[in-house]
Amino acid sequence: MKHRSPLFTLAAVAVAFIIMFTVDVLAGPPGASSAQPADTSAPPAPTSATSPSRQVSKTAATTTSASASKSTEESMFSKKVVYAGHTDHRSGAIAVAVLGNQSAAYFCDGRSIESWLRGAVEGADISLRSKDGATLQASLDGDRLKGTLKIKNDTLKFEINEAEKPAGLYRARGSRTTIGWIVLEDGSAVGVQTNGADSTPAPELHPENPQVTVNGESLDAQPVNGNEDL
Amino acid sequence: MASIPVPVPEVSPAEPSGTKIGPVVIAFAIGTAVSFGLGVYGRLHTPSGHAVNIAGFSTGAAAKAFLASVVMALVLVQTVTAMGLYGRIPLRGAWVGTVHRWSGRLAVLISVPVAVHCLYALGFQTYDGRVIAHSLFGCFFYGAFVFKMLILTRDDSPNWALPLAGGLVLTGITALWVTGVLWFLV
Repeated sequence: MKHRSPLFTLAAVAVAFIIMFTVDVLAGPPGASSAQPADTSAPPAPTSATSPSRQVSKTAATTTSASASKSTEESMFSKKVVYAGHTDHRSGAIAVAVLGNQSAAYFCDGRSIESWLRGAVEGADISLRSKDGATLQASLDGDRLKGTLKIKNDTLKFEINEAEKPAGLYRARGSRTTIGWIVLEDGSAVGVQTNGADSTPAPELHPENPQVTVNGESLDAQPVNGNEDL
Repeated sequence: MASIPVPVPEVSPAEPSGTKIGPVVIAFAIGTAVSFGLGVYGRLHTPSGHAVNIAGFSTGAAAKAFLASVVMALVLVQTVTAMGLYGRIPLRGAWVGTVHRWSGRLAVLISVPVAVHCLYALGFQTYDGRVIAHSLFGCFFYGAFVFKMLILTRDDSPNWALPLAGGLVLTGITALWVTGVLWFLV
C-alpha cells in the first residue's frame, strides 16, 4: 500500500521554501535581487542596482591593493568582537561589530547625525557602507581598530578599542522609530533616534536595564552583532 | 579464487519477508541530493546579509531563535509520540499518531523561514567549527526530512528504516538548535 500524505507534506514544505525565498528577494534592499544565484554571472549592473555586499567587496578591491589581489582572506579578527570609541576631535562616537567575516557599524554624533553600515571582513581590513552612501574603511592595528568614515561631505578618522561589556553597540526598533546607542568604556551612552526623516538625540540608555519608552511605546535595546540585518 | 554461485538474498534473513530495500536506497539518495544541493547553493550564492524581519521581534536573530525553539519543542513532542507508536512508552490511542503527524508538519513549516534566512542572508559559512557544524547540519536536516517523508509513503520498507530516518531528523534539529539558539543565548 502506498500513502500520499507525506508527499503532500513535502510539497507544502517546498512551496513554503519558494514563498519565503520570493518574499526575501522582493523585499530586499534596493537591488538585492542581484544577489540571486542566477545573476552572479551577469555583468555588474549600475552601482545603484548592485547588492550591498557586492558594493562593499568592490570598494574594498579598489581601495586596498592587498585585497584586490586576493578576493577572500581569512579574518584576523576575533570571531565575535565589538570596537567602540570616539571619532577624532570627539566629533561623534563609532562602534564596529564583527562576527565571523561579517561586520556592522554605527556612527552617531548624539544629536542628529547617524549612519548604520554593513560590510565584510577581509584579513585585517573591514569595509562597510550604508544604504545612503556613507563608507567606512578600517584596519586592525594591534588590538586597536583604526579607520576612516566618509559621511556626507565629512571625513572622520578614528582609532578605537575593543569594547568590554556593557560597552558596545545597541539598537532598539519600534513601529516607527529606530534608535542606536554606542556605550563607551566609561559606561556613558551616545545615541540618536530616527523617526522617518527626523533624527534627534536618543533617550538615555542604561545597559543593565535596556528598556526605553518612545512615544508611549516600550522598546528593548539589543546588542548588535556583526551579522545584524540593518 | 573461483566464484561459487551463492544465492544472494534480497533482504537479510532477519527482516520479515516482503520488505524491500530498494526504495529505501532511492529515498536515501534523493535525501542526500537535497542536502548536497542546499549546501552547494548556500556556498555559491552571495549572502544578501538581509532578509525580511518577522514582525514583533527586535532583531532577526531573536525571531529565528524563537522559531527554532518552537521547532525544537515540537520535535520533542515527535520523539515522545514516536516512542508511544513503537510501544516503548505507554501512550496508546489514535490521537498519538495524529499528534505525531501534525506536530511534525507544523515543526517543519515553522523551520522554513529560519532556514531560508540562514541560506539566503548568511549562506554556508566555514569561519569556525560551530558555523561549519551548523551549516552542515542545516543541509543534513532537510535531506533527512525528505528521506523520512519518502520512507513514509511505503509500507514495505524494512522495520528499521523509519526509526532510522526519524532519528536522523531528530539528530539534525538538535544539532542545529545547539549550534544556533544555544550559542545565541549563551
